[in-house]
Amino acid sequence: MVALSVVLGAVVLLLAVLVAGLLRSHADILKALHDLGAGVGDPANDRAHDHGGDGPPVGAVPVPLTMGPPLATDRDSTSAPTLAGVTPRGDALAVAPATGDGLTLLAFLSTGCASCAGFWESFRRPASLGLAAGTRLVVVTKGPDREIPREVADLAAPGLSVLMSSEAWTDYEVPGSPFFVLVDGAAGRRVGEGVANHFSQVAELVRRADIDAAAFAVDAGSGRDVGIDGPARESANDRELRDAGVVPGDPSLYPTSLEDLYGPPDARMPTAPRPIRRAG
Amino acid sequence: MYAHGIGADLPPGFEGRIFTRQGSGIEVANPVAQFATFPLPDDVGDFGGGAVNLMGNNDIFVVLFEYGPDSVGTRLFAHQGLPRELVTAHFQPQVLRRGLSGQSGTQWFFTEAGRPFTLYAVLGSHARRSALVPRVNQLLAGLSVDRAPVALAAGRPWN
Repeated sequence: MVALSVVLGAVVLLLAVLVAGLLRSHADILKALHDLGAGVGDPANDRAHDHGGDGPPVGAVPVPLTMGPPLATDRDSTSAPTLAGVTPRGDALAVAPATGDGLTLLAFLSTGCASCAGFWESFRRPASLGLAAGTRLVVVTKGPDREIPREVADLAAPGLSVLMSSEAWTDYEVPGSPFFVLVDGAAGRRVGEGVANHFSQVAELVRRADIDAAAFAVDAGSGRDVGIDGPARESANDRELRDAGVVPGDPSLYPTSLEDLYGPPDARMPTAPRPIRRAG
Repeated sequence: MYAHGIGADLPPGFEGRIFTRQGSGIEVANPVAQFATFPLPDDVGDFGGGAVNLMGNNDIFVVLFEYGPDSVGTRLFAHQGLPRELVTAHFQPQVLRRGLSGQSGTQWFFTEAGRPFTLYAVLGSHARRSALVPRVNQLLAGLSVDRAPVALAAGRPWN
């Protein structure tokens, strides 16, 4: 019985030593993390207390913490940055679609995708593409790190602008090929993007964008004016409201109930839709 | 953008290309760099034929054209270094290779990094040269030229 008690006591003592060692190790880790600025709580509050001064702790190392890739502050879902890369021949090429007055159609294609083959073939017959006059077509493949320039050159029709740039695919957030982006140079932004199975669908997208641009132009005298923003957009909205008889202070601008918005329930009868001009 | 020993850090609003023409088998095609603030057509002459007629009043077109190595050391290319600080007085309507009303241009011959070049710049509107020339200088500040490779001496066997 005595021997059993002695053995049990020794085991308890050994376990106590192990636990104490683990706690000590854990405390050392926490202290090291705290010194690195990644401790629990606000290290700034404890720094002076722990290290007896206002300056940074001795041996402290700043730890950069990032939640993801940095985003360009001047870029959004409609911006159209300059595309820069090389041609299949090895020349350098930079295209700024947000310049000029015309439309630029960016066709993001690859050499390997089966559905791209039809587009490469269509581009050999530029006259039958059906693009609006003045629309510039630029094919963008991934860079020489992902595509073989010789294969791209073999697929590209003579005279077709082909730019190889993996960065462009990232800049325009291209999900896969084929993918098309339409940029309006006058507005300096993307006005359409998406996928298509046949180039006739893309041509229709371009045609509609061209018509929209003309229809939504606020100032007909200044030509295409898609994508107005800022004071111009506010002025356009004000003009629309004034034309509809809504002036500053009008009660309809301050609805307090659904009836203010839609009228009395018995009066909510379907009526002929009234065309509304989009301001931007 | 970089190709053929010429680099360009383009300012916003510029696009460009650095290329060599397809050789005919007789002549040697030297690098040409073209920069513009408007969409460059696919087939543009070395000095802007087919492009300068598309320029608006606020547009700029710049060409950096390299000549053959036999031009190095000649009087025409005696000026050393790419001109990077142009002033409005450098631009004159009569300098244009193709005289289009309202435009003006400037042309310089020089040697940069042992390579002979000419720089030809066109403004869409001579009247707006005060606003456009700084943009040209902004472009020129971002251009770089690699030194020409040293030719191996001929006639001396390896062993």
